[in-house]
Amino acid sequence: MDIGNALFGFLYQIGDAAAFLVLASTGLAVVFGMMGVINMAHGEFIMFGAYGTAMAVRAGLPLPAAIILGSLAAGVIGMIVERLVICRLYGRPLDTIVATWGISLIFSQGILILLGSSFPGVSTPFGSFTVGTYSYSWYRLVLMAAALLLLFALWFLVNRTQFGILARATIQVPHMAEALGVKTRTIYSLTFGLGAALAGLTGGLYAPTMTMVPTMGSTFILEAFVTVVVGGADIFIGTAPAAGVLGITKALFTSWQGQLTGQIALLVAVILVIRLLPKGLSGWMLKERT
Amino acid sequence: MTNKKMTMPLVQCLSRVNGPQTLGRGLGFWIPFAAVLVIAFVFPMFSDDYTTGNVAYFFTWLFMAAGLCLMWGYSGTLSFGQTAFFGIGGYAYGILTINFGADNGITLYALGASILFGAIAAALLGYFLFYGRINGVFLGIVTLAVSILLERFMAQTAGPQWHIGQARLNGFNGMNGMPALTIPWPGGDIVLLAGPGFYYVVLCLLLFVYFGIRILVNSRWGNVLVAIRENPERAEMLGYDVRKFQLGAFVIGSALASLSGVLYTCWGQYITPSSMSLTSAALPIVWVAIGGRSDITASLVGAFLTLILFQTLTVNGAQYALIIMGVLLLVNVLTAPEGVVLQLLKVRFKIGRRK
Amino acid sequence: MISLLQTINLNKSFGGLHITNNVNLTVETGEIHCLIGPNGAGKSTLFRLLLGEYAPSSGKILYQGQEITRLKPFQRVQRGISVKFQVPGIFKGLTVRQNLEIALQSRWKGKELQEEAQRLRTFLHLEGNAEERAGNLSHGQQQWLEIGMAMSLKPRLLLLDEPTAGMSPEETQVTGEMIMELNQRGVSILAVEHDMDFVRQVAHRVTVLHFGKIFAQGTIDEVMANEEVAQIYLGEPAYA
Repeated sequence: MDIGNALFGFLYQIGDAAAFLVLASTGLAVVFGMMGVINMAHGEFIMFGAYGTAMAVRAGLPLPAAIILGSLAAGVIGMIVERLVICRLYGRPLDTIVATWGISLIFSQGILILLGSSFPGVSTPFGSFTVGTYSYSWYRLVLMAAALLLLFALWFLVNRTQFGILARATIQVPHMAEALGVKTRTIYSLTFGLGAALAGLTGGLYAPTMTMVPTMGSTFILEAFVTVVVGGADIFIGTAPAAGVLGITKALFTSWQGQLTGQIALLVAVILVIRLLPKGLSGWMLKERT
Repeated sequence: MTNKKMTMPLVQCLSRVNGPQTLGRGLGFWIPFAAVLVIAFVFPMFSDDYTTGNVAYFFTWLFMAAGLCLMWGYSGTLSFGQTAFFGIGGYAYGILTINFGADNGITLYALGASILFGAIAAALLGYFLFYGRINGVFLGIVTLAVSILLERFMAQTAGPQWHIGQARLNGFNGMNGMPALTIPWPGGDIVLLAGPGFYYVVLCLLLFVYFGIRILVNSRWGNVLVAIRENPERAEMLGYDVRKFQLGAFVIGSALASLSGVLYTCWGQYITPSSMSLTSAALPIVWVAIGGRSDITASLVGAFLTLILFQTLTVNGAQYALIIMGVLLLVNVLTAPEGVVLQLLKVRFKIGRRK
Repeated sequence: MISLLQTINLNKSFGGLHITNNVNLTVETGEIHCLIGPNGAGKSTLFRLLLGEYAPSSGKILYQGQEITRLKPFQRVQRGISVKFQVPGIFKGLTVRQNLEIALQSRWKGKELQEEAQRLRTFLHLEGNAEERAGNLSHGQQQWLEIGMAMSLKPRLLLLDEPTAGMSPEETQVTGEMIMELNQRGVSILAVEHDMDFVRQVAHRVTVLHFGKIFAQGTIDEVMANEEVAQIYLGEPAYA
């Protein structure tokens, strides 16, 4: 029975780490994979989602509704950012990084000034359960389920809805899409907004597990970037397996030596993977296929 | 005959101070430059020690800006790792001088050794990146990852077991108490605390680096570097091993960041992991972007001015400093992507109409 | 006599797509050799294989009798192969002078470099444009500039990918003269071309590529008389 407990513990850790990576990175992956834009303000959209959720909960909304609200808020802000800034910088990836970094500073410092250095948070629902000698949080299982659900929902959106098809067409061959009457400007705005909303969703989902500070996005951002970069441009054959691989690595090292070692192992793994597969996992898989 | 043989390459070298890759040639540029230089040299005599030390503080950051300008502006490599090498330089100096003291010019050797250490680290990372064909956005992410990795690692080194020799790494609070630069002198070593002495040393180093970079980028090596920035594929097709040039620029640029780190540590006698944080990593990008990354003069002038602005803001309204930096960065990218200072200098010196 | 360039059973596939199909091509020293064929025949891929941008799936490439299949592009360039791609690969943000200097400095220095740059500018009909930003030149001038840059490496073999693409008839004529002049100076040339008048003007030998395979080889008249070739061209929409 001890082995079973240990195994459960290990699987739990992997699932937790992988879920974190999936949730942290899908928003970024959508924007990078579909538009080639690296959004350095990704962490701030997560923060908006978290703050929005916390505010909604304090206003009396139940947690799920609050999370959706937080996510929408982040999405709307995302669309505004796209209209004002991002749309002028397509085709200039390094400039986009610099500009979004500026936006990131503006947002995080702005919230710091407006709302102070911390904000009342949300408590973790559902409590915990025990397996063997360890107790585990139910909520984190919820998060794992949310991650899986999210991947499925995204797949559905991208491959089975009109928006998804239009978006893919616009991004692959913009002038053709325009010639066919697609409002490409709107598609770009919506796609970026989707990425922001997904970030906001992550913020909302993790809000009950974290303290609300304006710089909370920075907890996610590095892991999000590395997952996207390791995964390559495609979400499903890239980001998702990348999250899996990196999640396993992180869980392994965390259980061996602790949080920090896990994080360091993650970053080292990223550096190694990029070295071996410069176009990320999906680049490698696509090369095999074609 | 030997004198002529020795001075010929020197003259040739010096003639490269002007060239296609740098703004400003002829008296219209160099006379104002000389004037500024004179002001810089006499400044400490008209000012108190504190202000002089403060200006010297600004100077220490300019090496990192120069390095980024070389990598990003001339070579096309946007590295987010400047702060990593800054930290490596600073910590290396701290470790060496805490362990070996300040006598017999050890601090000077420590300065050199720390820069060398940074350069070696850069060579390893750079080899990894460029020979692995990692460029552009991915290179940015990997170098950022390295910076943050170092920050997180150093931040958790609190506790007595984390030490190198006698130097405790001290985790989040960082290392302090290391000796300042000390020049051995008969009759009493000269300790360069933050004041006029330190100011002059840094100013001289800055001039050396400034002219060095001007000569470097206008040389044949610099020509290829710029070609690589413009069209790496074409440069390869002209027979140049692109990776070697990119690596060279990366090592020099990162070593300059290490120099900044060492001087900063000498100035304040402390170094903390927060120098390598995500926010810190953004700052060199801000300075160089605003100044004008494709020209060394514009970069340095822009960096200097932005540093003054930043400090003024921090002192007078701490919270707004970073926001204004963010706004500046954004506005700069959208309206003057080549750099505000550069735009102004170009108008002044009418670049593109060489007659 | 060893051929200057020889490919032996060269193949290249991308996944399921077999682009280059058992190509045995030779370029003799001193000749101008044109590669013709319909779009999609794999000419660009073949070029990139010769340059080293792609590694072949199988087969060998010999240059001056020595195998270069494993060499990187810059190494091949250093041995004397030079290229001009279809899309002008000049440094658009730099001046004409800078473009030429960067190309020349791998083989020349100092005063000779300046003199050679001057000679090149005259040859390329670009004397008055030394300080102009290369991106501002006309399309034809950009192509010539690039030929000039390719030439400044003193190559033995010059690979030209559609050198007259997008040029007016006058510019095409000038380009043809340039190429023949270069050939007189001892440069062998392998050029991909669509413009049959141009091919007629310059080519010693012609190879027809179709579906990645060599269909015919010989002088232009021999090739044009070949029935299979006629079918390839008649079977495709009207060709110049």
